[in-house]
Amino acid sequence: MVKSKFGEKFVNFLGKLDSLDRRIIFLIIGIVVLIPLLLPLGLPIETTQLTEDAFYALDALPQDAKVLMSFEYGPSTKPEIHPMAISVLRHLFSKGNKVIIMCLWPDGLFMANEALDLVARQEFDLEYGVDYVNLGYRPGNEAIIKGITKSFAANFSIDAKGTSISKLPIMNDIQTARDVDFIFSLSAGYPGAIEWVLYAGDPLQVPVSSGNTSIQVNQLLPYVKSGQMKGIIAGMPGAAEYETMVIRKIEENIGIITPEARELLPQFKERRNATKFMDAQSIAHLVIVLFIVLGNISFFVKRRQQRKY
Amino acid sequence: MYIGILGAWIAVFLTLSILSYLYEDNVFYKFAEHIFVGVSAAHWASIAFWNQVQPNLFGRLWPQAEVAALDGFQKFWYGIYHGLHVLFGKIFPEATINGVLYRGIGDQPQNLSYLIAFVLGLFMLFRLIPKIGWLSRWSLAYVIGMAAGLRLYGYMSSDVIGQIHATMLPLWTGNVGSSINNIILIVGVLTGLFYFFFSVEHKGALKVVSRIGIYFLMVYFGASFGFAVMGRISLLIGRFNDLILYSGKEYGFATPILLVVMVVVLILTTRKKKSEEV
Repeated sequence: MVKSKFGEKFVNFLGKLDSLDRRIIFLIIGIVVLIPLLLPLGLPIETTQLTEDAFYALDALPQDAKVLMSFEYGPSTKPEIHPMAISVLRHLFSKGNKVIIMCLWPDGLFMANEALDLVARQEFDLEYGVDYVNLGYRPGNEAIIKGITKSFAANFSIDAKGTSISKLPIMNDIQTARDVDFIFSLSAGYPGAIEWVLYAGDPLQVPVSSGNTSIQVNQLLPYVKSGQMKGIIAGMPGAAEYETMVIRKIEENIGIITPEARELLPQFKERRNATKFMDAQSIAHLVIVLFIVLGNISFFVKRRQQRKY
Repeated sequence: MYIGILGAWIAVFLTLSILSYLYEDNVFYKFAEHIFVGVSAAHWASIAFWNQVQPNLFGRLWPQAEVAALDGFQKFWYGIYHGLHVLFGKIFPEATINGVLYRGIGDQPQNLSYLIAFVLGLFMLFRLIPKIGWLSRWSLAYVIGMAAGLRLYGYMSSDVIGQIHATMLPLWTGNVGSSINNIILIVGVLTGLFYFFFSVEHKGALKVVSRIGIYFLMVYFGASFGFAVMGRISLLIGRFNDLILYSGKEYGFATPILLVVMVVVLILTTRKKKSEEV
């Protein structure tokens, strides 16, 4: 029993919490997200098994490996997935791998162009059509995935710039999806990572991994557990972990690293968006947990008061 | 330079308009919502046409060919293309290279079987004409049949067989931790499946099994909710990051100016609405 006056007031306050104007909650969330973005705390990033599996699977590829990256996200999920796209591109280019990009979402084309503009053109200054190519967007969802397991040329007669793919050196020995060494899907929903496992990874036995939104993680975990996917980069925390691992790899000189990548290290360190965002994410989570706890206390207090009267 | 600033102002305005819904439904939100729907539809349609229909359909029916070398049926066939060029020059281009006239799109080999896809595609558009709208069902039948067949194979192979195979785990692996993991996984799968088995009444021992299944499902839903919250916060962080970026001098203080204007308008509208109600 609460005997003091303050205690009684506090219990009454808790009882009234469930009728709190939801706009106050929105405002509090807004403030707790905004403050760490303006005043970063620099909370440490610890890597997890899921991200490590994806990282090491890509890291184990030989220098001449060709990776197919599919962009299946748009501006709405850009904050979560775009940092992953940038980190994975940096990782692959820092090892000298070739990258073939395609998009199953119309908006994916813009995301791919933005990521390539930063990493391939501004940072690594690579040659289009030789070191990387953007095949662009094709409508058709899983039918396109199924299609490229038979023939790339039948589905992508031209790349995103309108060049015939027969004129692109990077595509010379790529006839089907079987000819790539790894498939990496940057996925925000359907069609996305699951479709890549179902229609390309499993039938062709090509390793598949994915960078995906948090909301998809539960759907994808069974594929990771069964070995059908080689780890996943899960949401913004995954992106921050991957960023950290790429930087650590170059800093500690682990595995294959090109000299260009070593020179670019300071820029990579400076442009760590996911890591910067994780402060806000962590603080917001703490506040939401607090809301849930208070909400539950409020529920029980109210029920007790109702029983009393 | 000016385009970049204009783009920032539009981005800030639309972001704040959508966020304003958290206060209440209002004219800014409705405006941004309608723009989003319209622009998305137009954007998708144009991208799909220029990336798929034009190069992959028309490009296979009429791949680029030298006009002087055409004869017989091909002469007639490319004559149709020329007619289309006269009507829609941008979609069906013709080019003179080194004084030689070429018709057609790209360098794919000609494949006239794509006429079937072309006709089925046209049938879909007949939905706009009620009298012959029934023809669109043929196209739909093809799409549904193809999708069902494609998915059935994928799901059976990867989801059903692949996942059953992954659940066949030893209960004792020689390591306590992994053995406990395997037991939890197997118990979770079996009890979860049993919860959806309705041919037997869930009472007695079966009720206990079913209840364990519910607990596993609740853990799944809880984890999904947690991930969903995490995702939404990430998106909010992304928008806030852009708003912070566009609040500087180089973008003409887009965020603070638009924020103040919108807050003032919303307050005035709410007051007006309240006074009208009174």
